[in-house]
Amino acid sequence: MDKREARIEVSQIKEAADRLIENIGRVIVGKKEVLELVLVALLCEGHLLIEDIPGIGKTMLARATARSLGCSFKRIQFTPDLLPSDVTGIHYFNQKTSEFQFRPGPIIANIVLADEINRATPRTQSCLLECMQERQITVDEETIPLPRPFLVIATQNPIELEGTFPLPEAQLDRFLLRVKLGYPSEDEEAAILTRFRQENPLDNLPSVIEADELLELQKQCRQVYIEDSVGSYVTAITRATREHQGIELGASPRASLSLYLASQALAAIRGRNYVIPDDVKYLAVPTLAHRLIAKTEARLRGGSLDGIVGDIVSAVPVPVEGTAHSIDKV
Amino acid sequence: MKLDWCQSILPVTIMGAECCWLYALLMLLNKQVVDGRLSVPWFLLVYPLAFIFNTLLPKQQWSKVKLYAANGLAWAIGMLLMVKTQLYSGLGLFEPGWLLAFSQALSRILQTVQPEVILLVGSIVLWWLGWRLARLRITFVTSVTEFQFGVIVLLIIFASTAQLGIQFASSVPMAMVFFLFALGGIAIAHTQGGVSWLTGSGQGFWLGLLFAGIGLILLLALLIGSIITPDFFQLILIPLKWIGGVIAKGFELLMQVIDYLMSLFGEPEPAELPPGMTIPAPPPSEPDIPMRLIPESVRNGLRLGWYILMVGGILYALWSISSQIFGWLRRRLAAAGGAEFEPLPGAFKADLLVLLRLIMNKLRGLRLLLWWRRKPEPILSETASVRQIYRQFLRWAARSGWPRHLSQTPHEYLQTLEALLPVAQGELRFITEQYVSVRYSPALPTDEELHRLRQSWHQVKRNRLKGPDSEIVRQ
Repeated sequence: MDKREARIEVSQIKEAADRLIENIGRVIVGKKEVLELVLVALLCEGHLLIEDIPGIGKTMLARATARSLGCSFKRIQFTPDLLPSDVTGIHYFNQKTSEFQFRPGPIIANIVLADEINRATPRTQSCLLECMQERQITVDEETIPLPRPFLVIATQNPIELEGTFPLPEAQLDRFLLRVKLGYPSEDEEAAILTRFRQENPLDNLPSVIEADELLELQKQCRQVYIEDSVGSYVTAITRATREHQGIELGASPRASLSLYLASQALAAIRGRNYVIPDDVKYLAVPTLAHRLIAKTEARLRGGSLDGIVGDIVSAVPVPVEGTAHSIDKV
Repeated sequence: MKLDWCQSILPVTIMGAECCWLYALLMLLNKQVVDGRLSVPWFLLVYPLAFIFNTLLPKQQWSKVKLYAANGLAWAIGMLLMVKTQLYSGLGLFEPGWLLAFSQALSRILQTVQPEVILLVGSIVLWWLGWRLARLRITFVTSVTEFQFGVIVLLIIFASTAQLGIQFASSVPMAMVFFLFALGGIAIAHTQGGVSWLTGSGQGFWLGLLFAGIGLILLLALLIGSIITPDFFQLILIPLKWIGGVIAKGFELLMQVIDYLMSLFGEPEPAELPPGMTIPAPPPSEPDIPMRLIPESVRNGLRLGWYILMVGGILYALWSISSQIFGWLRRRLAAAGGAEFEPLPGAFKADLLVLLRLIMNKLRGLRLLLWWRRKPEPILSETASVRQIYRQFLRWAARSGWPRHLSQTPHEYLQTLEALLPVAQGELRFITEQYVSVRYSPALPTDEELHRLRQSWHQVKRNRLKGPDSEIVRQ
C-alpha cells in the first residue's frame, strides 16, 4: 500500500470508542484497559472470552457491552444438560399449518452472551464452532446465516473445575481475545459499592452505538495502515510461539490474522490511522495466550502461558531503524 | 616438632643444598681446568667453618669494622691453609717457598688459570656464603629460592659436563643429597610457619601416615626390584622371541609361495618383426608456426582491468574486515554495559550511501559552479531525513552506554532515555514521535516539523546521558 494513498480518518472510531467506554464505564468501574480490549473485539467482529474468578464482573461486563450496542442480544446459560438444538434452534411440526417450522435458538442474535461456557458438554460447545467462525448455523441440512454484526461474548471460571468441560482448542482458537478482569483496586471497590447502592446502573444503561454504525466502524478499521515490517513483526511473534521450547501447540495462522486485525482496531481506538509495534506487543498476550498449549514440564515449572508469550515478545526484535527489514526500504 | 629446633636445622639444610651444587661446580672446574689437583670435599670445609666462625662471633658487642676485620683475617688464614695443604703439602708450613710460589701463580692470573686462583676465588665465595648464612633469617621463601637456584645451577653443570664429555661419577648421589636437603629444608621451613600438617593436633596421625607411605613405597620398590630381575626379563623375552620367529617364518613362507606363483608365468620374449617389414620412419616434423602475440594496447587494457579487480577485491576485503571488527567492538561494549546488542545490519551501508550521495552532490555543485550554472542543492526526502536523524539518535544513545534493546519499541526506549535525561524530555519525545509517525504511518513530515526535528536533535546531542554505572541510574 502506498503511503500517500493510505491516509484514513479514524476520528469517528475514536469518538465512538470513547462513547462506548464511557457508557460501559457506568457499570464497570475502572478497567479501562479491559474495556479497550472489549472494543477491539467489537471492531474486529471477533469473539471475546472473559475469564476470571467468580464475582469479578464478567457477566456484568458482557451484559453492559451488549446493552451499549443497539443490537439484538441473547443470553445462553450454559449448563451440562444444554443441547445443541437449545442453542441453534429446531424444526418443529406446526399442527396448524401442517408444516415443519424453524424455531430459532438464542444463537441467532447480534450479541450472544455464553455464560459459563465451560459448563456445557463438548457436544454443545461444538455447536458454536460453525457459528463463531463462519457466522452461520446448519440445522437439518438448512444453512442459516447469522445476523451481522455477530459477536459471542463468553465467560468462564478457570478455578472451579468440578462439573466443567475444558474448551477444545478449536473453540479457543475462535476467540479473538481472552481478557481477565482482575480484582478492583481499593478505590474502585469503594466506587462500586457507592454506585450499586440504590440500583443497578445496568438497568438504565442506554445503547450508544447502533448495529449499522458498528458495521461501518468495522469497515473503517480494516483501512488502518500497517507497515510491512509491522506485519512481519506480527508473524514473527506467532512463529516464535511455534518454536518455543515450553510450548507444545503454537499459534495458528488464524492467530496471526487475529493479532493483525486487533492491532488495527487498537490503533484506531487510540486515535491513530497506523499500527505501531506497541499495539502488537500490547495485544500479544490477550490474543495468543489462550490459543497455546504449554508443555507439561513448562507447566510443572510454574510457567504460565501469559508469561511464555511475554517472554517471546521480549525476545522478538522490533522493526525499528537499523534492523534488517527496515533499513533497506529507506 | 619444636620450632627452635627448626631454626637450628634450617641452616644445615641450606648449607647442605648449597654444598651440593658447589661441589658439582668445583668438581667441574677441578677436572676441566686444573686436572684434578684439588681435593674438593676438603676445600668445601671452608663453608661450614665460615658459618661456625660467624655464628660464634659476638655480633652484638663488636663494631662492623671489627667484624669485617676478623672475617678477613680468618678467611686469609683459612685460604692459606687450603693452599698449603692442597698444593704445597710437601713443603713445611713456615717455609717461604710455597708463599712465593703462590704469589707467582697469582701474578699469572691473566695468562692461565692456576689452582691457586681457584682456591683464592673459591674461598672468597665459600667464606661469603658462610658469613651470609650465619646472618640470614631463613624462611619458607628462602628455602624455595635456594632450591630453585640450586636446581638451575645443577642443570647447567650437568649439561656442561655432558657437553665436555666429563665423567661425573657421583652426580646421581649428589643430586639426591641436594634434593634431600633442599626439600627437607622447604618442609621444615613450612612447618616453622605453623601451617604445616606436621604441626597441630593431627601431627601424630599425619607423621604416621607419611612414614607409612614411605614404608609402603619402599616395600613396593623392594618387591618390584626382587621380581624384575634379568632372569625375569629373560622369561618374558623367550615367548616374545618365539612369537617373532613364528611371524618371520610365516612371512618367509608367504614370500616363497609368491615366488612360486610368479615362476608359473614365463617372462615375455621379445617379438620379432615378420619378414619384409621395416620399421617405419618417424613422421616429418611440422614447420614452426609463428605465435600470435596479443597487441600491447589489449594487454594494457587487460592489465588495467586486472588492477581494478584486485583493488576492488582488496577494498571489499577491507570493508568486510572493518565491519566485522566494529561489530565485534560494539558487541563487546554493549555486553560490558549489560545490555543486549542490536547489530544494526545495513545501517553502515545506508550511511555510507548517503555520504557518497552527498559527495556526489557536492561534486556536481562544484562542476555547476565552474560552469556558472548554479542549481539549488538537492535535499533528501523527508522520510529519509527523519529516519537518518533517528539512526544518529540511536547511535548517540548507544555510545553513552544505553543501546536500544532489540525488543524495545521506540516508545519503550523513550521511557528509558527520558529517565536518564529529564532536561531534554520534550526533545526526546518529539524526535521519537516524529520517527514513529514517519516510520509506521503513511504521513510525511512537514517542513516545519523537519526543521523542529533537526533543532531538537541538535539540542539533545549536546547533552550526555548518564553512564550505566552512575549512581543516579543505579538508584
